[in-house]
Amino acid sequence: MIGLRGGISFAIAIILCAALAVIGWAAERAARHTIVPEITAKANSVGRSAAALMERAQTLGIPFERLAGVTDYLEDLRAANAEFAQLSLFDAGGAETARAGDASGFEDPPMVRIPVTDRDGRRTGELLIVVDPTVVSAQVGGVLLDVAFIGIVSLLVALELVALVVGTRGLEALIAVEQRLRALARGRFVLHDTGKGTSARGLIQPIDLHMEELGDVHARARAEAERRGDEDALVWLEEVEERTGLGRIHAVESQAAVAVRPSLFLFMLAEELTRPFLPHFAQSIASSTEISPGLAASLPIVAFMAVVALGQVPFAGVSERLGRRSGFLIGALLAAAGYALSAVSPTYSLFIAARVATAIGYALVFVSAQGHVVDHSAGAARAAALAVFVRAIMVASLCGPPIGGVIADRLGAEAAFATSCGLALVALLVAAFTLPRGRPDERTGGVGWSQLKQAARAPGLMALLFGCAFPAKFLFAALCFLLVPLELQRQGYSSAAIGRFQMIYPLIMVLAVPFFAALADRFQVRHGFVVAGALVAGIGAMLVPLQPSIALIVVALVTLGYGQAMSIASQSALVADTASAMGGGRGAGVLGLFRLVERSGNAAGPASAGFLMAALGFAPATAFLGAVVVAGAVLFALSGRGKPAVQSGRASSAAASEGTSA
Amino acid sequence: MTRTTLGLIAVFALIAAACVTFGAYFSYVTLLNAHKGIIEARFGIAARRVADVAEQAASFGIALPAQQALTDILAREARIEPALLSMDLVDEHGTVLFSSAPGRAGGHAAADGGGRVVAQVRDDLGRSIGSVVVRYDPHILAAGAAALFDGLKTVSLATLGGAFVATVLIGLLLAAALRRAVRRAAEPAMWPAAAKSALASVAAAHQRAGASWSLRGRK
Repeated sequence: MIGLRGGISFAIAIILCAALAVIGWAAERAARHTIVPEITAKANSVGRSAAALMERAQTLGIPFERLAGVTDYLEDLRAANAEFAQLSLFDAGGAETARAGDASGFEDPPMVRIPVTDRDGRRTGELLIVVDPTVVSAQVGGVLLDVAFIGIVSLLVALELVALVVGTRGLEALIAVEQRLRALARGRFVLHDTGKGTSARGLIQPIDLHMEELGDVHARARAEAERRGDEDALVWLEEVEERTGLGRIHAVESQAAVAVRPSLFLFMLAEELTRPFLPHFAQSIASSTEISPGLAASLPIVAFMAVVALGQVPFAGVSERLGRRSGFLIGALLAAAGYALSAVSPTYSLFIAARVATAIGYALVFVSAQGHVVDHSAGAARAAALAVFVRAIMVASLCGPPIGGVIADRLGAEAAFATSCGLALVALLVAAFTLPRGRPDERTGGVGWSQLKQAARAPGLMALLFGCAFPAKFLFAALCFLLVPLELQRQGYSSAAIGRFQMIYPLIMVLAVPFFAALADRFQVRHGFVVAGALVAGIGAMLVPLQPSIALIVVALVTLGYGQAMSIASQSALVADTASAMGGGRGAGVLGLFRLVERSGNAAGPASAGFLMAALGFAPATAFLGAVVVAGAVLFALSGRGKPAVQSGRASSAAASEGTSA
Repeated sequence: MTRTTLGLIAVFALIAAACVTFGAYFSYVTLLNAHKGIIEARFGIAARRVADVAEQAASFGIALPAQQALTDILAREARIEPALLSMDLVDEHGTVLFSSAPGRAGGHAAADGGGRVVAQVRDDLGRSIGSVVVRYDPHILAAGAAALFDGLKTVSLATLGGAFVATVLIGLLLAAALRRAVRRAAEPAMWPAAAKSALASVAAAHQRAGASWSLRGRK
């Protein structure tokens, strides 16, 4: 059952693509009527210039048949005029003596013929220029592709923010109805607590009555079986319970997560907008300085990631002292100021300062939002709440790059930063309305450095963190935030196209993490999934030098996505196991250390990539980073960590702690 | 519930309409820029042709003000392009030395109206010694813009309306399907196949347990 929201989104995606195709057809028709005649006139003008040059050569005494370098000249003309499919020179007898390009693929294309004459006005040859009638259509096609992506991304954004538009009560009613229907469609008789106080109560009440009735009958049967001590009957009843979910209660989506989700999504979207153009923009600001292009591109990313990594621990305490709401608001304001300053920075050093300010705001918002969810949930509900939290971040990383790329292409990087500033301010306003006012907590029970030191002594933890967690983020941040954008920019791709490439990783993560998490849990091979995922990601990156092409860049991004999806949930589950085993309140230190090491990988990746790209070039740098991941996985596998895993947590709990890009 | 559904449909229909509008607008702007670029490139080629002649003469030591033959060349080039208002050779101070339009020579080129395309004239050392300035009738762009607008307007408006109506219709159909599914869900006889099968398995398990107990009871 696809549901109303999913159904309309799917239908609109199809309608949108069809509508844009119709507009593309209309644009091509308009171009044929209006622009192709102008291109033909331009071809005529270019042809007359070229013919005049040949006539001058003949005037100087060079016979037509001895004209040298004509093919190169025609190639130059074609390169300078993308609208020309072919330029050919024919002699007086009609034989082709020089040619650039090939228009044989076009059916009845417009063409111009310019005679070439000698000093006496006798016709000695003819220049033919064939116009490519599709060149303008291709430009329009590029624009429509951008619009189609914006449209589809807008749908995702709308789905995230739908609660703001139709109201949380209305959305809750809709979700309540859809949850019950979806459960029935899957043959599940679980009980739902949602929607009972909403306008949908009249619709859901009859369904709930059936479920409760079934549950009561089943409970009575079970009680009777227990009373009689009938083991066989208990097994049958448990089997049917397992299959149908009878008597179980569906986990309710945390209200805390629902409250913070729109504002967090908007805030994360603001940062994600900058991904496709930031490295190139940094290089352009630094062009007047002595800083090398590689360092110039990587330094703002490294500074941002380092501040976010190092800020996690102290800002958790700050957020508690200030209160989650105040922490979010101050962080969003700081980040908005950082974006505004980035847009108008006249110097590179000021730009770095602006990125640092943004990073401080980002870290404060992140820990405040996470703290809000954690404060208002417990047990299994906390995992579900964190899953909602992480989903908002993943969708932001899916939506941000293509939108940011289009804005940077069409309006400039400064406008894209200004948009980020606007989004951060909107996030601030939404948070001000949706987050509850909480009293500042004086206890500051966040994770301290001493707890991190204690956690580092947990058996096998450092092998996991430095063998797998650190290299995974190291490769991810280096490849997605620096190497790929810079390489694609070098190959002539627009920021919008780079943004579309940057969607590959989060898209695979959103789709594949739950699948691999469930597989790892079912087969109880989390250690194997961690190693296999790292090998897939690392080897994918190592393939790039085989033939540094766009296809292998895509392969590297896809293998990175699948590799991370395979390993990340299992990594979290192994860390969670270690945290549980530590006990005595020391588990938070383990999780804090895990996050710190991961985020250090985020900072170290672009730093190393900037240096390696300058020293070795894109392909060897990517392969080197891939080799680091493979080496880390091998070391982890050899470290003796591969003991039989204990029963894992739910896939959602593993996925819940993953997916943040910073 | 109805209000939520309608709100949802309206939001999504607006998104669809906004995207189609953006698509049409961006397509129009792209075509407009391409049209302007091609026209200006064409005039630029004509200007470059004259600038090449002036540079060649300059390389033989003939100063720009002394290149009297350029008046004829400028007039010939301007005749070929009917949309040209004038084609001038301007010195480095902005004074028109020669022009295709009678009476412009000796004037200043800076404050002229119309579209302008400029090709620099350089000496053998690459220094700018003047420029060929083409002034063209902006109506040529306006006429192209109007033709492109007309070409896109009808189809785009129809597409916009179609997309909006289709979204609303599909939304209403899905909402109706949701309501029907809710009504059916209230009646176990009308449940989906998976639910019926699950219900049967529950009933079978209960019956089996009951049968087992009555069997034991008889024993």
